[in-house]
Amino acid sequence: MNATRPVLTVESVTKVFGTARTQVRAVDGVSFAVGSGEIVLIMGPSGSGKTTLLTILGGLLRPTSGRVVIDGLDLTAMRPAELPRVRREHVGFVFQSFNLLDSLSAQENVEVALNVAGVGGAAARSRARDLLITAGLEGRLDFRARDLSGGEKQRVSIARALANRPQLLLADEPTANLDSRNGHEVMQLLHDLAKREGHTVVVVSHDTRLQDIADRVLWLEDGRLRDHASGAAQERGLTV
Amino acid sequence: MVPVARRNLLAEKGRLAMSVFGVAFAVLLVLIVLSLYRGWSGVGKIITRLPGDVWVTQTGTNNLFRSSSFLPADRAGDLQAIPGVQLATPVYSREMGYERDGAAYNVLFMAFDAPPAATALLPQATRDRYFPEPGQIDIDSVFADKAGLHAGDTMDILGQTLRVAHVTKGGSAVLAQSAFINGADARTIYGTADMVNFYLITTQPGADAAAVQRQLTGIIPNSEVHASEAFSRALSRDVSEGFLPVVSVLVGIGIVVGGAVVALTTYTATIEKARDFGVLKALGASSAYLYRIVITQSVIVGVLGSLLGVAASAVSTAVIARRIPEFITDLRATDVAIIFVAALAMAIAASYVPVRRINSIDPAMVFRA
Repeated sequence: MNATRPVLTVESVTKVFGTARTQVRAVDGVSFAVGSGEIVLIMGPSGSGKTTLLTILGGLLRPTSGRVVIDGLDLTAMRPAELPRVRREHVGFVFQSFNLLDSLSAQENVEVALNVAGVGGAAARSRARDLLITAGLEGRLDFRARDLSGGEKQRVSIARALANRPQLLLADEPTANLDSRNGHEVMQLLHDLAKREGHTVVVVSHDTRLQDIADRVLWLEDGRLRDHASGAAQERGLTV
Repeated sequence: MVPVARRNLLAEKGRLAMSVFGVAFAVLLVLIVLSLYRGWSGVGKIITRLPGDVWVTQTGTNNLFRSSSFLPADRAGDLQAIPGVQLATPVYSREMGYERDGAAYNVLFMAFDAPPAATALLPQATRDRYFPEPGQIDIDSVFADKAGLHAGDTMDILGQTLRVAHVTKGGSAVLAQSAFINGADARTIYGTADMVNFYLITTQPGADAAAVQRQLTGIIPNSEVHASEAFSRALSRDVSEGFLPVVSVLVGIGIVVGGAVVALTTYTATIEKARDFGVLKALGASSAYLYRIVITQSVIVGVLGSLLGVAASAVSTAVIARRIPEFITDLRATDVAIIFVAALAMAIAASYVPVRRINSIDPAMVFRA
């Protein structure tokens, strides 16, 4: 664990779906902490519980047991109605399938995240514009989301995630739908922006290239965290 | 603020157009029916415009159009002698069919049989309109339009040829229009030298109308006295009571159709954008923010549809008035305002189902590819 103050603390988080014979432990007693400005990559095979864990960390799914604390706020102790405020003020999301609003322009997609947090008008326009220019999209500000390439969409998605200066950025397979070149560029953008603005980042992915930008790599398998080296070796069919 | 609602609607321009037209047609239906109702409800004014304010009729006569009344023709002097009476005019009145170029028209022929000297105190316009010279007839413009008659034309009425002297407005009572002839011609046409239908009393300015009515009562045996206002209300009530149930049903249908169109539009737009709403929820959007988007979508459709509907109503009532003159329409600003507000309320109410749908959207869906 990083020595800096933890922005994210996960304690014995378990998520069980179904009951009796159909019961599945998607996440099983996971504990870790992520320090301020740290980039943590969570890897693991398909069905290992990565996305379920990320959904729990973002306050979109309540764990069956355990605690999730973001910047001192215990999400698991909060009422459901309080969670949207945590998400808009403390968490940014980057999704595998971008999840941009197709009917809005690139700039409006970033602005809307600011609007949701109560920032409007010129302040929102200026912040959105600056982020998109930093993301290399100066010539695409007024393009409809549906008219952007995959790489451009993910850049807009990253700009949107950072719009409200969240302490924690959660990225779900951010390079999965991109070709090699775009994947690398997006990966680098995520790293540069996070480091420049001091965001804590948790990325879940299959993409081993993301290890290049990660400060730490965790291995999740069958809902449990394991030693990364052995898990990665198993993934490649080797023994450690 | 990013206009998410507007963008959502404009993303499907065809559907937006159909929705706006749907609401517009609903508003058009409601306003046209209401304007017809208002117009028809006001037909009683045809009576209050006549040159007098109190009627003496045969007992049992409660409606100037739909009742028969016969009184002796020689009692005008007795009525005239009552204090407060300025003029007591014998009235011949009969609704008859009039044929011209193979078409038949219902016309209420009336004659105010006052001697010229007695009408001298009345305004010139009143005399021109209601007291034509022998051989002349003054007709209503709706009847004139339908029958293709103009000033100077002649009309044959039961063997009597009359020349149209004036064409005037305000004499249509939906199912019949009024025409005024000279008293002498009326006696010839009707063949009732010793009978009149009514006496129309003009009270003196400042006279106590109620007191005059009381004193008129019983002067002529088997007669009764009515204020013009009462006859006017009776006629309006006859027309509106027959029309009101139809109006209520059509207005109800219009509101339901309009509400359904708005609800369907916003619901479809919400379903289609369910993922977008899920994304906004994941980003931390409050329920109020999301509801505002849905309600704004509904209000945009409601406002655009209402504006178009109001404009179409204004054009339609003008066209109806020109093409079908007996369809008296009265499109009132207050009705337009009420329907506009009702349409907005309907649009907001129509947001209820989509809002419930939003509540059921799981924001965790955004992690599903």
